[in-house]
Amino acid sequence: MTLPSPLPQARRRRRSPLPTVLGVLALAGLTAFIAFGNLGRSLEYFVTPTEYLQQRAEFEGRPLRIGGLVKTVQYNPQTLDLKFNVTDGGASFPVQYRGAVSDLFKENQGVVVRGEFQGNTFHASELIVKHSEEYHVPQTQAELKDLLRQSE
Amino acid sequence: MLNLISFQSSALGALGQLALLAALAFTLGGTWLAVVGGIKSDARATEAARRAVWAVFALVSLATLTLMAALLGDNFSVRYVAEHSMRASPTWVKVTSLWGALEGSILLWAWLLAGFAFVLSLTLRRDALRPWALGAMFVNLLFFVGVCATVASPFTPVSQMVADGRGPNPALQNHWMMAVHPVLLYLGFVGLSVPFAYAVAALVTGRLSDHWVVTTRRWTLTAWAFLTAAIVAGGWWSYETLGWGGYWAWDPVENASFIPWLLATAFLHSVQIQERRGLMRSWNVWLIVLAYASTVLGTFLNRSGIVQSVHAFAGGPVGPVFLGFLAFLLVAGIGLAAWRAPHLRDEGEAPAPLSREGAFLAGNWLFLVFAVMVLVGTLFPTFVEAVQGRRDASVGPTFYNAFAIPLGLGLLLLMGVGPLLPWRRAEGQGLWRALRPLLLAGIGAAVIAFVLGVRSPGVLGTVALGAYNLVGLGLLTARALRQRGGNFAGLVREQPRRYGAYLAHVGLVVIALGIAFSGAYRQDAQATLNVGAAPTTLLHETLALQGTRVDTKPYGRSQVARVLIDGQPFEARLNTYVQGGDSAFAAPAVRYGLLGDTYLVVTAFDAQGKWASVRLIESPLVSWIWWGTLVVVLGAGLTLVTPRRVAVRVPVTRAAPATD
Repeated sequence: MTLPSPLPQARRRRRSPLPTVLGVLALAGLTAFIAFGNLGRSLEYFVTPTEYLQQRAEFEGRPLRIGGLVKTVQYNPQTLDLKFNVTDGGASFPVQYRGAVSDLFKENQGVVVRGEFQGNTFHASELIVKHSEEYHVPQTQAELKDLLRQSE
Repeated sequence: MLNLISFQSSALGALGQLALLAALAFTLGGTWLAVVGGIKSDARATEAARRAVWAVFALVSLATLTLMAALLGDNFSVRYVAEHSMRASPTWVKVTSLWGALEGSILLWAWLLAGFAFVLSLTLRRDALRPWALGAMFVNLLFFVGVCATVASPFTPVSQMVADGRGPNPALQNHWMMAVHPVLLYLGFVGLSVPFAYAVAALVTGRLSDHWVVTTRRWTLTAWAFLTAAIVAGGWWSYETLGWGGYWAWDPVENASFIPWLLATAFLHSVQIQERRGLMRSWNVWLIVLAYASTVLGTFLNRSGIVQSVHAFAGGPVGPVFLGFLAFLLVAGIGLAAWRAPHLRDEGEAPAPLSREGAFLAGNWLFLVFAVMVLVGTLFPTFVEAVQGRRDASVGPTFYNAFAIPLGLGLLLLMGVGPLLPWRRAEGQGLWRALRPLLLAGIGAAVIAFVLGVRSPGVLGTVALGAYNLVGLGLLTARALRQRGGNFAGLVREQPRRYGAYLAHVGLVVIALGIAFSGAYRQDAQATLNVGAAPTTLLHETLALQGTRVDTKPYGRSQVARVLIDGQPFEARLNTYVQGGDSAFAAPAVRYGLLGDTYLVVTAFDAQGKWASVRLIESPLVSWIWWGTLVVVLGAGLTLVTPRRVAVRVPVTRAAPATD
């Protein structure tokens, strides 16, 4: 019995281009997605009041975290309306926030607020009171210590 | 480093440290024996290496038990105990302190890894892969045991004795889930080391047949199920302790556990193509190398402080060591795979787009893109900081949601069509006929949801794809039942893999619905409640503060607010821990419901107990995430069951061949 005539030897298998095409398309899409600034736009910066003053054009209307010390607190526990100034010794901005604040929130306390500027007032959506034990995000802590040092 | 052993101050510390050093010695010896056994095909050396695994496991167990004994016995001469535990803690907190900080958690990792290596040593077949799989496990052990015994030893003695210990991180005492989540996570991470070791063995020996994939199926599935449970347990912890009513924040360390999950899920599917069709051999090797490396990356991110995170521990020498190991894994893995690439040819033609393997492959790409995007988002702030100096930037959830939602929907789409498609190639006509009821169900469900008031496109898409998936799985099961004469139990017993996978897919649909609804329709409101005042209306509920009280415990105190919400009592607490200073940790009161949770957080107290500020959160279908995960894990468990032949008339059962 003879075998059917063999195929030409060592012919490379035909590979479907689909996996490669899919992969390239996905990666191209990914790159475009990043390049067209989605990532850039959703970046949220952490600035001090002085940095904001200096680079106002860049930060205006963007989500920000602003860090500094608390001054002149006005808080009404019944309506939960909170107003205070945040300062790093140089610049100072009024902050508005609605929500409860803990006992930790007092004059000269370090604070980080998340939100955005509307005019000169920072409208905070989140308030992170910083206290000086170790269990904290190291970088922010370092930033904050710098702030505290600057303002003394 | 020089003070690794000190017999003066700490007997338990010396015992633990000696056990670790002995384990390290056995690991070194075992590595050498495994390599000799592999190179010279020396069965005796391989056998000795196998025995060395037992010694390593016994010694690391001894070290772990020693640390546990020191924690439970308040032995503050051991530095780890002095710094991370205290006398006044309840017992369960002392137990969890074993993994509550850096050194202990690495010891736990090493112990679980040694345990997996031990189980592996009992189940290994006598084949050419055996010494190399052992050797690869030994290299992993070498790293983790080495780190434990040197730069991150929990047993170094204290320089100054303390009376009561500094106590664990307050955030870790706040919820019992901290006893569960890290262990599950490490079981998942460590479990991936076994398929990784087999992949390495296959590469080294050049025996790149499908044997390693078949052998490691159970390991991969088990690790994957643990990882899934761990990620959701972490989400549940976050939900129950952080007081924000959410479960996922795209925190860098959450991401670090999600990336391996994405890659492992992709691997779980693409190995089936290799098993069935002999395709994608090199792909699978790459995928498991990357999945395992991403677990080490996760630990590196977690332990180095390079990214900002709620989980990040402060720097120390461990970060660079992990980075070194990560680099080694990547270089060795890529080097091995590149060396063997010419042998990693597939048999037969590449997957056709309209076939089950085509759907698996497309899903693989989505998983891969998902993983890359999460990685980019996680590391981007670090890059920005490196490039732009000390400005601290972070990537918000908007970035992640922008791709996570479409990618998630795409995966749901493929998940529905995959099981419908035959292997090799689908006929267009037949596919359309099979797909039609699914599409109709999806469109119907979306229309009903729209009429009922759902307007968010993401939620509508999830509902449509959920119905499309469930109807697809239902029809497939119904068809099989008709053919088999309606014996459902027999069907499942005969094909536990298939029906386990279906069950896991059902669970994923349930989770997807939970995520979509709780994300889109979460409501959040705050108010201050006064004792004795008229009830306040918040989110259509009436809230009345009945009173407040303070519970004092040796390890801290709880301020409790008793609130009636629509007549039902809620007790939300603010916990303060002695080592936490003034900072309070909220313990929300949650009433779980099938259709939605009512979630009350107390945010501030009046010193006289006259008022309390609260936050009320209502999010629909959150609990579907937890229940869905249970279904997924049960499904994964079912796929591990050995199939049985079920005869229709004569009830004779026999075991199927082992290569299930």
